[in-house]
Amino acid sequence: MAIPNFLYKNNRVLLKELTITDFKLRYQGSVLGYLWALLRPLMMFAILYIVFAKLLKIGGDIPHYPVYLLAGTTLWSFFTECTSQGIQAIIQRGELLRKICFPKYIVVVSSTLTAVINLLINLAVVIVFALINGVTPSLTWLIVPVLVFELYTLALGISFLLGAINVKYRDITSIWEVLTQALFYAIPIIYPIAMVAATSTTAAKIILLNPISQIIQDVRYCLITKETITTWNFINNPFVKIIPFIIVIIFLIWGSWYFRKKSKRFAEEI
Amino acid sequence: MENDIAISVKNLHKSFHLPTERAWGLKQAIFNRLKGIKGYKEQKVLNGISFDIHKNEFVGIVGRNGSGKSTLLKTLAKIYFPEKGSVEINGNLIPFIELGVGFNPDLTGRENIYLNGALLGFSNKEMRAMYDEIVDFAELRPFMDQKLKNFSSGMQVRLAFSIAIRARGDILLLDEVLAVGDAAFQQKCNNYFNEIKGKQTVILVTHSMENVRKYCSRAILLEDGKIKLDGDPKKVADAYEKLWD
Repeated sequence: MAIPNFLYKNNRVLLKELTITDFKLRYQGSVLGYLWALLRPLMMFAILYIVFAKLLKIGGDIPHYPVYLLAGTTLWSFFTECTSQGIQAIIQRGELLRKICFPKYIVVVSSTLTAVINLLINLAVVIVFALINGVTPSLTWLIVPVLVFELYTLALGISFLLGAINVKYRDITSIWEVLTQALFYAIPIIYPIAMVAATSTTAAKIILLNPISQIIQDVRYCLITKETITTWNFINNPFVKIIPFIIVIIFLIWGSWYFRKKSKRFAEEI
Repeated sequence: MENDIAISVKNLHKSFHLPTERAWGLKQAIFNRLKGIKGYKEQKVLNGISFDIHKNEFVGIVGRNGSGKSTLLKTLAKIYFPEKGSVEINGNLIPFIELGVGFNPDLTGRENIYLNGALLGFSNKEMRAMYDEIVDFAELRPFMDQKLKNFSSGMQVRLAFSIAIRARGDILLLDEVLAVGDAAFQQKCNNYFNEIKGKQTVILVTHSMENVRKYCSRAILLEDGKIKLDGDPKKVADAYEKLWD
C-alpha cells in the first residue's frame, strides 16, 4: 500500500467530504444557519467594543480603533476555534478510526478547515468595516493571506501535538481552555501594545515575540494603519525578531512528528 | 509475493495494553509513574498467525468470543498495526468491520453514500459510477434525498450493506454482517454471495456455521490467538461446533 500523503488524490477527496460535512452539520437545525458563523464574532466584538473602547476609553488615539479591534478579535476567534476543534478532532471521530483505516491527519485538518472557512467570511466583514471606516486600500493588504497562513500553521501544529496527547490524557482539553483564556490577556487584542510599552519596553517586547501577537499586529499594520507597533519596528536585534517564526516552525515540526508517531496506536487507545 | 495470492500473513503477533486501574487522565499517569506502576497489563490477542489467502477464495474466520477474530480482521484492514510479523495485501482491500461507519443521521442518503465511499478510499467519480447500483440493490431510490434519521433502522442497514457489497474492491472484509434486512433482502444477499463465490476474494468473520458451509471455500478456526484448524469449511464448522461438547 502506498504511503499516504496529501498528494494522494483519494485523501483529498476524503478531506473535502469531511470538511463539507463538518461545515454543513455545524449549524444544522438553527434558524439563522450559516449566519451564525458571522454573528458570533461580531457579537464578541460588540461586547469588547462597548466595554473597552466606550466605557474604559482604551485605544482612543489609535486611528480606526473599532476596525483595529475587530481585526484582533477575528484572528483570535479563529485561533481558538481552530485549536479547540483540532485538539478534539481525533476523539470526536474515534468511532471512525476504530473501524476504517485512513490517514489520521485528515481528521484534524478537516475539522480545522471549518474554522478557516469561518475566518475567510469574517475577514471579508473586517474589510467591509475598514472601507466604511475610511481606511484606504493599499498594496500591503496582499500580505494578509501570508500572515493568515502563518497563524493557521501555528494552530495546526498545536492541534497535532495536543490532539495526539489528548487521546490518552483528556485533561488536555481543559488545560487548553484555561491556557487560551490566559493567552487572550497576554496578547494585545483588546488593549493597545503602546499601553504596555509606556510602562515597560521589555514587557512589550516579550509580548511581541509571541507569534500570535506578531501576526495580529502585522495584520493591523498591513490592513489598517501604519502607526501599529509590530515585532519588526519595535525590536532591533534581527536574531530576536525571527523568534515568532521559529516558534511556529517548532510547533509544526514537533506536532507533526509526535502525531505521526502516536497515530498508529490511536485506534487502540481511543 | 506470488501473483495469485491476495493476502499473505506471516507470524502475526498482536497484544494490547489494557489499563489496570483507571489509567486515563493525567493525575493517574503521574501517580503511576511515581509509584513505578506500568498502569497497564499486556494482553496477547494474536499469537503467531500465518496463512496465505489466494485470489477468489471465500474464507470464513470462526472462533469463540475473544479468540482474536476481530483483531485479525482489523490488522488485515491496517486499522491496527502488527507488533511482530507481517501482513501483505495484494490489491484494493475494502473493509466492513461494521456497517454504515461514518453514517450521519443529519445527512441525506445520497450524501451518506458519498461520504462512506470517500472513507473507503473511493473518489467521487468512482462513487458516481457505483451510485445507481448501490441504490438499486438497496431498493431505496425514492428516499435518497431524505435525511438518514428519517430512514427506518432496517432501511439504514440495507443502504450500508449495499455499499459494502457494491463497492468494487479486490478483497472484501466482512465482520458479522449477514443477518440484515427482511426475508426478501436476505434472499437477495444470499443470491449475491452465491454469485460472487469463486469470483472475488472475501474474508468473512462469522458465528453462523450455516453460512460457513454455504458460502466458504475455506475456513480458519481461531483459538486463543492461534490457528487451530485451517482448511475445508465443513470440517472446520464441525470442529467449531464440537468446541462446546
